[in-house]
Amino acid sequence: MSSSTYLKRLAAAVAVASLGAMTGAHAQEVKIGMAAALTGPASFVGTEIKRGAEVAIDEINAKGGVKGRKLVLIARDDEHNPVKTVAQYRELVEREKVVAMLGASNSASMLAVTPIVNDTLKVPVICPATDATEITENEAKKQGRENYLFRVGMYGTGQANFMVDTMVKKFGHKKIGLLNWTGGWGVTGRGELNRRLKEHGLTPVGDETFDNNDTDMTAQIIKLKNAGAESILNYALVRENTFVVKTKEKLSNDIPYVSAWGIAGPAFWKAAGTSAEGVLSSTTVTIDGPQSAERIAFINEYKKRFNEDMSAAVFAVGAYDAIYLFKEAMEKSGFEPAQIRAGLENIPEFKGLVKHFKRPVFTKDRHNAVTEEDMIMTRWTNGKLLEIKFDDKGPYVEIDASTKKYLDKSNMKLM
Amino acid sequence: MYFFFQIALSGIATGAIYGLIAVGYSLTFMTTKALNFALGMWVMMGGMLTYSLHVQYGLNPLLVLPIVTVALFLLGIVAERFSVYPFLRAGSDVWVLSTLAVGFLMIDFAEIVWGRNPTPVPPFFGKEPVYFGSVSILPQQLLIIAAACATFIGLDFFYRKTLLGKAFRAVAHSGEVSSLMGINTRRVQALSYATAAALAGIAGFLVVPLTLAEPQLGTVLGLKAFAIAIIAGLAAPRGILICGLVYGAFEGLVSGYLYTGIRDILGFSIMILALYLRPEGIFGRAQEERA
Repeated sequence: MSSSTYLKRLAAAVAVASLGAMTGAHAQEVKIGMAAALTGPASFVGTEIKRGAEVAIDEINAKGGVKGRKLVLIARDDEHNPVKTVAQYRELVEREKVVAMLGASNSASMLAVTPIVNDTLKVPVICPATDATEITENEAKKQGRENYLFRVGMYGTGQANFMVDTMVKKFGHKKIGLLNWTGGWGVTGRGELNRRLKEHGLTPVGDETFDNNDTDMTAQIIKLKNAGAESILNYALVRENTFVVKTKEKLSNDIPYVSAWGIAGPAFWKAAGTSAEGVLSSTTVTIDGPQSAERIAFINEYKKRFNEDMSAAVFAVGAYDAIYLFKEAMEKSGFEPAQIRAGLENIPEFKGLVKHFKRPVFTKDRHNAVTEEDMIMTRWTNGKLLEIKFDDKGPYVEIDASTKKYLDKSNMKLM
Repeated sequence: MYFFFQIALSGIATGAIYGLIAVGYSLTFMTTKALNFALGMWVMMGGMLTYSLHVQYGLNPLLVLPIVTVALFLLGIVAERFSVYPFLRAGSDVWVLSTLAVGFLMIDFAEIVWGRNPTPVPPFFGKEPVYFGSVSILPQQLLIIAAACATFIGLDFFYRKTLLGKAFRAVAHSGEVSSLMGINTRRVQALSYATAAALAGIAGFLVVPLTLAEPQLGTVLGLKAFAIAIIAGLAAPRGILICGLVYGAFEGLVSGYLYTGIRDILGFSIMILALYLRPEGIFGRAQEERA
């Protein structure tokens, strides 16, 4: 083929392709984008977000879409790398013309795109996974401009408040020990926990740390015990916490151990095994224990479709709700990104999988759907992450629909 | 007193791990003046193999140990032939990079074969702690302390009493002279490298029930062990054991009485200070330069 023929054909192909894009075939589709880790160690986060969204989108499309228009998900793999997240957000909005986005798998990525989203891209983003407070409490919000960032998952400040408040108010512990990871998340968490304790007029009886390569936390745990800690609060992930609970077991130490949502998934039980029994974790969603009919339907659909159990239910459930929130906003306010953004602030009630919000999901000043009142404290119980509930007789977990077990507040053992 | 003894003992158990790995650096340094900088990754390979054989295939640890040892020994022979020897022969220092490259290959290989998620390996003698008074220690930790001591006694015996061991030491002293005396220098070099690899494998086998089976298992352990080998002196295997145990106890006591955050700062500062004051290591003897 001569080069001129080749060029002609290429030009023709391009013309046909752009024509196809312009003629109505796809015009009715509403594109929702996401950029998150779909490969690498954090891929479970991105994968759960994608799967949760897919289930919701297929349900909506099967029932005729949103006002007759079908939803389409366009997912990119940012490999947990903020530089890629930024590039992909631009590409998705400017080229693919997505009208809404699901959040990324790590806070660093979201913090990198937040100013760009608010200043130039201007598409609403709902985050199911990333918990850095500044993602929603950003510059645009502080300056009273339109804030395009929303969240259905945990947020940092709220979680630390919830952890401290639960132990201090509901369990009546006044001597709180801290044991945090010196990695990024642990540093922020340690600061937040200290801040909240101070707001209660308390000082931690011990403020210990461990780092990445520690596999034995004997010294820290004995120090906290000697300081009289009634419970130990922690920010760290699965790996480090496995070593903490193994050390506690070796020392026969039964001080209640409360960790942030990094261990609120099956990976923790898989790594720590029975050493994790009785460990508490704050989170937004657990799919263990008695569940609502809607949740059961979702759990079953997930299993049927992907042929495995959820590895991090919070993210899948959050993404599922995020899609339905976009749907509500679109139906009410329109399909333009700015209209969807405004619509999200105007959903008075929402029956979601995360929970049944009986108040506006978001308001102008509150872009976190899940507030401290909605967070739950859970207990690892024989491989299940069971929600701790409270009644007149104290804290309890429901092993199944008919078995209720109360907790001993001093060591979180089942009574 | 409970506090002191408990953290010291836990520290010593961790130190035994460092010591066990650190001796591998010494083995190759003695014969070739080259180091396997990726020794931590070899420890990881031993650990991951143990995970596969013990957890996935249900083999008894007593069977797993010889398989891991032999496998890593053979792998060591191959790695030495292709990633170290060509450079040593050419008088180049590129082996520094090539040993690391082999290590990164191993991490990638492990990620593909076993995935990146940490998985537990059950301790060989259960997880009920053993008590000395009120001080508790895990059976696996005791096993590691015992194994570290046994390894060093064995090495000592090897270096002093066996012909091959004496050949190792002769090559360490002077490769050229040994060669003239009829020692197969080349074979000694390959053997020392493979023995170091096998020892790293054994360390991985012993350590993995205390940590988790994951591709990053040995990276930091390898670094700490390197610091210990430097502090003690690369040419002083016995010193390495003592140094490892002391360093472990030191880490525990710093965390216990001072603050975890400054532990590594102190540790690595000591390493630099030791290098400055005694470049040959605390236990090393300065090489006598003869004209």
